[in-house]
Amino acid sequence: MDSTLERAAELLARARFPLFGGLFTDIDGATAALALAEKLGGVIDHAASSGHLRATRVMRETGATPASYGEVRNRADTIVVIGNSPLARDPELLAKLFPGKPGLPRPGKNKRELMLLGLDKPSASKIPKGVPTTAINGKDSLPELVALLAAATREGRFDIRDKALRKALDAAGERLRESAFAVFVYDPAELDEPVLHTVLEIVRHLVKTTRAATFSLAAPGNGDGVNLCSTWTCGLPVRTSFARKVPENNLWAYETGRLLKSGEADALVWIDALEGEPAERPKNAPTIVLTSKPARAGRGDIVIQVGCAGEDHDAALYLPPIAGIGMVKAAKPNKDNPTVAEVLNRIAELIDAKSAAAKSTADKSTGTKGLGKKGAA
Amino acid sequence: MLIQLKGGRVIDPVHNRDGVGDVFIENGRIVGKPEGRTPDEVHDVTGKIVMAGAIDVHSHIAGTNVTLGRQLMPELPLLAAEGGQPIVPSPATLGSYATGIRYAEMGYTTVIEPAMIPTHAIEAQTELAAIPIIDTAGLVILGNDDYTLELLRGGRVKSDELKDYVAWTLSHSKAIGLKVINAGGSEAFKFNARTFDLDEEVPDYGVTSRGIVDAMQKAVADLGVPHPPHVHCNNLGIAGNVETAVATLEATQGLPIHFAHIQFYGYGDEGEKGFSSGAARLMEAVNKHKNATVDVGQVMFGQTITVSGDILRQFDGRRAASPKKWALNQGDGNGTGVVPYHYKSKSFVNAMQWAIGLEIFLLAEDPWRVLFSTDHPNGALFVRYPEIMHLLMDKNERARWLDGVPEAARQYSNLAEITRELTLSELAVITRGAPAKLLGLTDRGHLGAGAIADVAVYTEQKNKTKMFSAADLVFKSGNLVVRKGKVVRVTWGRCYHVEPGFDAQIEKRVKAYYDRYFGVDPSWFGVTDAITHRPDRFATIPCTS
Repeated sequence: MDSTLERAAELLARARFPLFGGLFTDIDGATAALALAEKLGGVIDHAASSGHLRATRVMRETGATPASYGEVRNRADTIVVIGNSPLARDPELLAKLFPGKPGLPRPGKNKRELMLLGLDKPSASKIPKGVPTTAINGKDSLPELVALLAAATREGRFDIRDKALRKALDAAGERLRESAFAVFVYDPAELDEPVLHTVLEIVRHLVKTTRAATFSLAAPGNGDGVNLCSTWTCGLPVRTSFARKVPENNLWAYETGRLLKSGEADALVWIDALEGEPAERPKNAPTIVLTSKPARAGRGDIVIQVGCAGEDHDAALYLPPIAGIGMVKAAKPNKDNPTVAEVLNRIAELIDAKSAAAKSTADKSTGTKGLGKKGAA
Repeated sequence: MLIQLKGGRVIDPVHNRDGVGDVFIENGRIVGKPEGRTPDEVHDVTGKIVMAGAIDVHSHIAGTNVTLGRQLMPELPLLAAEGGQPIVPSPATLGSYATGIRYAEMGYTTVIEPAMIPTHAIEAQTELAAIPIIDTAGLVILGNDDYTLELLRGGRVKSDELKDYVAWTLSHSKAIGLKVINAGGSEAFKFNARTFDLDEEVPDYGVTSRGIVDAMQKAVADLGVPHPPHVHCNNLGIAGNVETAVATLEATQGLPIHFAHIQFYGYGDEGEKGFSSGAARLMEAVNKHKNATVDVGQVMFGQTITVSGDILRQFDGRRAASPKKWALNQGDGNGTGVVPYHYKSKSFVNAMQWAIGLEIFLLAEDPWRVLFSTDHPNGALFVRYPEIMHLLMDKNERARWLDGVPEAARQYSNLAEITRELTLSELAVITRGAPAKLLGLTDRGHLGAGAIADVAVYTEQKNKTKMFSAADLVFKSGNLVVRKGKVVRVTWGRCYHVEPGFDAQIEKRVKAYYDRYFGVDPSWFGVTDAITHRPDRFATIPCTS
């Protein structure tokens, strides 16, 4: 194993701008990746965080009003599901949010209701028995429907020809205004920034008189956990570069595909060590791969088999039901392979050793005070 | 290895010590003068001040709420630096790593995170473990969660089960104590209440705020948890709220209680602006109620962000957000609000807040019960501590600052008339001895033999800001970690917590409860040693019963 790690360490020590991508890993793995990226002046990205990062940018600009899963499930009287993705990604979502037995004490006297906004085939959704449901649909695109609902909620002026839609929107607006706690459920991966802003503004209009919130689907691959970890470590989410003294976040500049295509990143560490769908791996980039799945090794790839977080070893991961980081016990404990954190920490040690050796050779031969930051000649 | 700090002025109010002498360190502990042995390492600290490492009893440095603030406002350190605050202009400055480094440089060696959400304790504890050098501990929040309120429904207290539930929650999150934030107020907010008073009933549950605090005080006292309930009262930040604070103090019935960031409750409603200093009235009550301790929550001018589990108050505060953005996390139990805020010296209200905090410090008859804090980051970022120490110890410095605030603020506060200057010994009380005593961390906050060798050495100088910004030497558990105000060695501290016993029935009940209402198993959010890979990370402090 160590000879493979030696090769990986050598490749990374030589790299000018290494990219740590994929990042389908637990909190320990993310912590180790962040530490190594900082040490090497590299960059971090997560393979399924685009939507989450757009939402984070909206938050930085104007704020956010999330509710926890428990609050939505127990106390919301109106739940608005926006778009196809929430129910496509979690077909059981409605059953979880409408558990069919009395929840915690909740405000108001409304019966709990469901609205489906802009679903292609609302009738195909698994709607729990006895939940009054309204589908709001038409020929308009999802962003338009969200904007129309916003106008209807504010009782603003808007003109549309579709009379049925008009009626549905007016009724929805009224229901929202009369809700004690309305929650808008969406997957940020399906919505562009202006739409995220519009949803937030609906909430902010409603909370002048009543309560409202958003409930965002978690990103795949522990995206929420990795981003939280990045934030408490360096103050910024992923797509952050450590090349300069001050870490720098840029959703466009530090995106994996762009960094590889432009050649700015000259080494890729690809991390994919969770159960479920694999992270979408970029093609044609010579790569150090840390994976818990069967891996195809390309020319020049260094493949390191690692344990699967939550399967082979206990793991701290973002858990949507607690809306936070929880501990998942290993389903089938197995120590055959090291964890992502163990591999990355070991590579960091090997790089340090190399750097120290290079420094001592350089000191002896030239009498200068060591080499640059990376210590590689 | 025997280390000698030689010839400094040793200030250790716990042992009534203030004089030139030596301090010896061996195996991470303070030791008495070892007869007939030559120290392995001698630090000549002649002319310098030697104190125990400082302890911060209330500073939001980790957990969901703090990270929500980081997400909302990564530019905070940049704006703060631009406004002249002593902070490195990088988003990473308020990250976990830099937090430990900066605290250590100022001579702090233990810091308490005061608001862990029970279901998010793993995140809080993981973040605390990512903070280098200093020791830490967390307070866990209860009092707005459905489980507690059900046990208090209609004022009929199921006290044994509450006691077990509190004990279980403390153990499950590895907390050192209990935090209660606007008891019942956050729950009332869920029912669309926008204000909530001490004797108001929580909708549906029918228990009052007073009833919740009272029950928690009894539970914590019965469990023998050394740190009393750490309470954030109702009506924070509202003119005239000094009456709420006084009423809450009077309601405490002699049981131990700690009131957090009391400055935010020191507001009268007199004068033409309807806002005046209530510090004298408040401190009269604090001085009288010897069962109560407070920390101040001093305000300093400049950009910051407010981070609080008082969601009701934060929702109201959104209107004053600067920059104009805010986040409200409507979570289980308390939830959280984060609202950026810029305290301005030219603002009458902000200047009053600043003056009232200082008045509270200076009107304290017993510094053992009035502790140092800014409620970081709510009153001010913790990097401002040296300036506050300067203001407390130098009346001329106060006069200089007072010249820069509106005339009305001078008129409606009493700061100008106060001539008291805190002594070094008093400062050591409010930043060392008293916090240690309050937390039950009897092995620190002083320099007696057997104490953990957390020691800070400063160069005595008239400019106290300079003096306390950069310690000459800091030892953490006997390791030299800071020299001339810079970290020279990065070590990793421990996390202190209590393990009060409970009836095992509570585990079954809580498990059934979470399963039914949340579809969650409590083991998912239980803190275990496994959250860090440092085997000695957690240390238990004993309860007295």
